[in-house]
Amino acid sequence: MQGLLLISIGLPAVAGILLLVLAFSEHLRAVGGTGVKHMRLYLFVSVMLVASVLLATTAAWTGDNSVVLFRLIESIPVYFRVDEVGRFFITIVSVIWLAVGLYSVPYMKHEGGEKRYYGFFLLSYGVLTGFVYAGNLITMYLFYELITLVSMPLVLHNGTREAVTAARKYLFYSLCGAYGGLFGIFFLYRYCGSLDFMMGGTLDAAAVRGHEGILLMVVFVMLMGFGVKAGMLPFHAWLPAAHSVAPSPASAMLSAVIVKAGVIAIVRVVFYVIGTDFLRGTWVQYLWMTLALLTVFMGSMLAYRERGFKKRLAYSTVSQVSYILYGLSLLTSEAMAGALFHVAAHGLIKCGLFLTAGVFLYRFGYTRVEELEGLGKEMPKVMWCYTLFALGLVGIPPTCGFISKWYLAQGSLHSEIPVFSWLGPVVLLVSALLTAGYLLPITIKGFFPGEEKSRENRKVHSGEEVCQGKEIASSMLIPLLVLAVLVLVLGIFPITLFK
Amino acid sequence: MLIVVILPLFAGILMPMLPFRTRKAMLVYLETVVSINSLLVLLLLLYMPEGTLTLFRFTGNLSVTFRLDGMGAVFAGMAAVLWPLAMLYSFEYMKHEDNEGSFFLFYVVTYGVTMGIALAENILTMYFFFEMLSLVTLPLVLHTRTREAILAARSYLYYMLGGAAFAFIGMVFILVYGTTSSFVAGGVLNMAGIGEKSDMLLLIYVLCFCGFSVKTAMWPFSSWLPKAGVAPTPVTALLHAVAVVNTGAFATMRVTYFSFGTELLRGTWAQKVVMVPVIFTIVYGCSRAVKETHLKRRLAWSTISNLSYILFGVVLMTPLGLVGAMAHMLFHSFMKICSFFCVGAVIYQTSKHYVQEIDGFGWRMPKIFCCFTVSAFALMGVPGLCGFVSKWNLAKAAVDSEMPLAYVGIAALMVSALLTAIYMMDIVIRAFCPVKGSDAVDDKNVKDANWKMWVPLAVFVAVMFYFGLHSGPVMELLEGMIY
Repeated sequence: MQGLLLISIGLPAVAGILLLVLAFSEHLRAVGGTGVKHMRLYLFVSVMLVASVLLATTAAWTGDNSVVLFRLIESIPVYFRVDEVGRFFITIVSVIWLAVGLYSVPYMKHEGGEKRYYGFFLLSYGVLTGFVYAGNLITMYLFYELITLVSMPLVLHNGTREAVTAARKYLFYSLCGAYGGLFGIFFLYRYCGSLDFMMGGTLDAAAVRGHEGILLMVVFVMLMGFGVKAGMLPFHAWLPAAHSVAPSPASAMLSAVIVKAGVIAIVRVVFYVIGTDFLRGTWVQYLWMTLALLTVFMGSMLAYRERGFKKRLAYSTVSQVSYILYGLSLLTSEAMAGALFHVAAHGLIKCGLFLTAGVFLYRFGYTRVEELEGLGKEMPKVMWCYTLFALGLVGIPPTCGFISKWYLAQGSLHSEIPVFSWLGPVVLLVSALLTAGYLLPITIKGFFPGEEKSRENRKVHSGEEVCQGKEIASSMLIPLLVLAVLVLVLGIFPITLFK
Repeated sequence: MLIVVILPLFAGILMPMLPFRTRKAMLVYLETVVSINSLLVLLLLLYMPEGTLTLFRFTGNLSVTFRLDGMGAVFAGMAAVLWPLAMLYSFEYMKHEDNEGSFFLFYVVTYGVTMGIALAENILTMYFFFEMLSLVTLPLVLHTRTREAILAARSYLYYMLGGAAFAFIGMVFILVYGTTSSFVAGGVLNMAGIGEKSDMLLLIYVLCFCGFSVKTAMWPFSSWLPKAGVAPTPVTALLHAVAVVNTGAFATMRVTYFSFGTELLRGTWAQKVVMVPVIFTIVYGCSRAVKETHLKRRLAWSTISNLSYILFGVVLMTPLGLVGAMAHMLFHSFMKICSFFCVGAVIYQTSKHYVQEIDGFGWRMPKIFCCFTVSAFALMGVPGLCGFVSKWNLAKAAVDSEMPLAYVGIAALMVSALLTAIYMMDIVIRAFCPVKGSDAVDDKNVKDANWKMWVPLAVFVAVMFYFGLHSGPVMELLEGMIY
């Protein structure tokens, strides 16, 4: 089964690179794609994607696989191992990638540069697979950095000045964070028995004695470093910029999955390398909790004030991912379960939200919130999906957002940390209120725009040929429906994920 | 052993006397000489001859003597691999420049001098070739004969001579207080004879270190290097990014580990005094690189920063630090020469010198810019490329030393990695993702470079990947030569 693991990482990566090479040579010869070529491209991408997803999930569910690929440095193997977290995360990634892949077909046809887009799309799937299956810190770091490098081109896809600036911002912030992480890895190599992931940590108590202060500092730097990718304050500025200029399906991937790479990295460092005992009750934990809660509040507040639709969603991501970080910072298993559940819940919901934002952008060219008034009549299905996602993000049962927030609040109340145990839930509630405040008015205005707006003539922006009178092409609608159903199913039967 | 030093010297000096009918004949002659010499060096490395070879004696124990040891072998091997490739590249590059003859003369002579430094058995020999290197590379800086070049050459000369003077002081003291002038691992100082003078000796060490590190362009002696960027690219790439500056680093390794000895130095104020400017330079060089928009000067600042990585490894004064320093010296040479040659190819093909002029060139010159991207990733320290391996070793050594100042150094390494990403990826992003509407993309005259230029680049890229993915053997070699 070891080969399977490697192939599941290699296949999408190779396929992606192949597409990129094709795109590159095509660009050099300056020939455009034709209809027939499009069909071939879709066929190739879909076969590759489905194959990779199948491979990755079978690798995940066929027992504990592990494989050492080769040694990067004598003492540091590139080592993959499937474990609970990896299994869980790859499932979410696969669902989102499939949904986004289907959705991209009409969307990216309009946007252009498809080969390049699908190339990086597949490549990032491979890299993410490698990332979640990484068995030690170095392997994880390797793929962490690769994630940044292969997802950056998705941000600058349309090549406008704004996009290029945002992509740079994204790249430099992320690398800054990655180097913060690497800084810590140097020290952990010295003070840990091994860098392999093991639940409970591998800290070498004898080596640490006398160096607690420096090690805490180092852990803090690592948290901040990996927190950059998760959009934690004060390093969140790149996120709204990058996620709002990327093509919508790419924003969906970035916001739903790629930011979670930071979360997973923190989970690995805190729970699998250092161990929670070392951190519990230290200043690092308190500072971490404070920053996370601050981000939860600030993110919601900024989203509430923002008028650009995708940017609002991006700020919402800043806030929501910090829910997860807050859950992790409590260092209890209950809160961690809630946090991981929120990884899934937020992933599905935010993916859905960005895809709906993409629908409006694609059909009417709308980017601002006030433009969406009265759209409910024209696109009832899309608007209903949107409403469901919005409710999920606010955390109203029976959606999955409720479950994760319930566990987060429970975990916080049971943690017996002074002040924070009750402050946390309060902040979460306030943020939920704000979330309702920035998401739900769109639904309300969408269905009840008031007298004068409803008669307004809409100019169709694009996509007439694929929609043919329907509100939206089915390849864009199906992913939305599937995600919506999943949000409900996970809300009603959360037990499936809690194993 | 002598041959590898003498052959390029004579071949170079002979060059003006030989009647070459065509340019081609000259090039064939040059490439043959350099290749044969490289082959000889590699043969030497294969057999690792024991024993020393004394060329002549001045007086007493002052002699010009050669010997091949582990560290020298690494340095010599590196130069032997790089020189023929750089030669090939410069054949194409120098087509546009005048006075090819004198250029190649000094280019070849420098090879011999570098070998002399690598194989030097004692401090005097090293000093001798060290001075010589400054002198023979001077005409190369001067090459274009523009006002700028003359000014640059002047400051180059002053810095070098100043540095050599300080190094000379150190040499004298080693001759007086040492048991022998040879390089012996662990140092040659006569501990009994030092007694209370250790503070003075530490001061001398600091002076000597500064003197040699002028060549590595450590702050505050760094300004000559960006200025020297007026020289033709093969010179800036091979000499000012690799040979000359590495000689400085190599010399500091020799004096630190093989003359003064780390036993005397470790944990003293002298170590801290030299470490502070080194750490500062790591960040300073990168920051200046970010600010600089001239392509070659940007890379020159980057070199300054990276050379200080090496010095950082040296001043950790642990065997691990030396291993890290050697590794970075080796790997950095490949990374930097690759990026320099890429930039040189751009300058050669398009005569654009500034960062903002290269929008969209990535699509016009794909081979060159792919190589450049790889070298950028390597310099940033992406795992899987060689830059990561050396950074890892340096940082590991720094953590192990348990000095607070060394921790600051690691932080400096990370900051510098970020800044490196900024100034390198800036170029990559510009080249591949021009902002919509810029006209550079349509510039049909911009063509990819020909094989003489990209073959060396491809070799460098392959080497970077090889060392990055499979660093075991080379690290073992480096460790073996020190313990």
